[in-house]
Amino acid sequence: MYLTKEEERILEGEKGWAYQTAMKVLVKLGDLFGATRLIPVKSAHISGVSYKTIGDAATEFLEEIVKAGGVVQVKSTINPAGFDPEHLKEMPIPEEYRAKQTRILNLYKRMKIEPALTCTPYYIQRPEAGSHLAWAESSAVVYANSVLKAWTNREGGPSALASALIGKTPNYGMHRAENRQAEVLVRVEPELKGETEYGALGIYVGKILGGKVPNFIGLRGPTESELKHLGAALASTGMTPIFHHGAGHEEGLEEVTVEEADLKGVVEELSTASGEPDMVFIGCPHCSLGEIERIARLMRGRKLKDDIKLWVCTSRYVRDKARVHVKVIEAAGGHVICDTCAVVTWLREIGVERLMTNSAKTAYYAPVLNKVGVALAPTSKCIDAACKP
Amino acid sequence: MIVELRGRPVVAGKARGVALVSKRPLSFLGGVDPESGVITERGHDVEGRSLRGVVFCFPHGHGSTVGSYVLYSLAKRGLGPRAIVNVEADPVVVVGAVIAGIPMVDQIDINLIKDGALVEVDGSEGTVKIIMEKQG
Repeated sequence: MYLTKEEERILEGEKGWAYQTAMKVLVKLGDLFGATRLIPVKSAHISGVSYKTIGDAATEFLEEIVKAGGVVQVKSTINPAGFDPEHLKEMPIPEEYRAKQTRILNLYKRMKIEPALTCTPYYIQRPEAGSHLAWAESSAVVYANSVLKAWTNREGGPSALASALIGKTPNYGMHRAENRQAEVLVRVEPELKGETEYGALGIYVGKILGGKVPNFIGLRGPTESELKHLGAALASTGMTPIFHHGAGHEEGLEEVTVEEADLKGVVEELSTASGEPDMVFIGCPHCSLGEIERIARLMRGRKLKDDIKLWVCTSRYVRDKARVHVKVIEAAGGHVICDTCAVVTWLREIGVERLMTNSAKTAYYAPVLNKVGVALAPTSKCIDAACKP
Repeated sequence: MIVELRGRPVVAGKARGVALVSKRPLSFLGGVDPESGVITERGHDVEGRSLRGVVFCFPHGHGSTVGSYVLYSLAKRGLGPRAIVNVEADPVVVVGAVIAGIPMVDQIDINLIKDGALVEVDGSEGTVKIIMEKQG
């Protein structure tokens, strides 16, 4: 890979350990995956924020970067953390965890990273089509490439941080048009409706596809929210950073057909909870303004059952825009939580054992990450389960 | 006779250990317990086995990109693998191995490595030597 004189000096350590380590990561990735040079990025989005997820050793790594004077060179945002400071009553998590989470957030702040604390940074600032990004958070990566038509590889937390520190990324993979083309035609036979069914499709196809790029044929006018759930689930079980839908029918591609029974099987397999849920969670990935509006419409004039929590998770930015709808959800007894989500907080510690969600991604991760049982159901059913009849 | 498999150097460094061979991709976020290094992904072919001190041979990583930090975290606590052998390296595992300093080789046919064999990985040369097949 070609490096400029300046890049070479950074690699040799001229700007200190933080930038040297960042450059090492970028050069290693570039060499391995066939990059020819580093290109500037418009923004970086960094995962690895919740203390529950990254633990102590990652904190040590961030501390070393800060100590060595690492500061980001492009607009950079971060993923959700482990709690919402304005909803501590709803999430009485141990003081020790809160202190450790706060320490991580302070480290990112010292690197001059914006505390967006969301997995959907594109609702705050929508990247332009064709712009090069260095984004982590697999659901945001798929969304950026597939829905927004921006160009980003599927970065890891550390590689996105490396790009943020350098302001560049190696030009391999999704930064090249030829790698973004569909490789497999996925014929979807049933007529899909709602986030849950799109999520189930993602779970199913991610498993059988490996890293190949799918073109979904047969989706009928999917909303951006449905595509978000499809991509988030696809990235949970597979490596694919991009999908297409409804584009031209390329000749000679491998074909896969998805039948209704396949998707029913996914929902059954992911639904591990027996009995009534003690929490209903919507907002994985974080809700858009439109999704919150819809939840409010479903909840207007209703009241939550006595022994159930309802969390709607989103970014603080979107919550501020959605104040009218937030009031409706709160009047019913629900909470609109920011900066975190059910999966990256300490669910068991706050007394949750059975989680109901509309998100296939959550249904896939929560049994292992949170050790809870899961019921996967469409949004309206989730609301019905949470509210008194 | 020592069999030597040639692949691609990914992360420099030499390590010798017992091979833990999986035929399935693994998500380090969610698939591995960061407190113990034990693989917890439901239904995975090496579910319940520990990564601690082994040479972990598997096709490639998948799942959340936080996986790189999990690998770093495991290595810091001495719970991680001594070396990693992949069929096709993916960025999540590569970056984790770079910052954790775990020797790594890819483009290896892991079907030729038997679970429990004693192997030596040279991440600078891109080789995996099978020193001894599993005894008994």
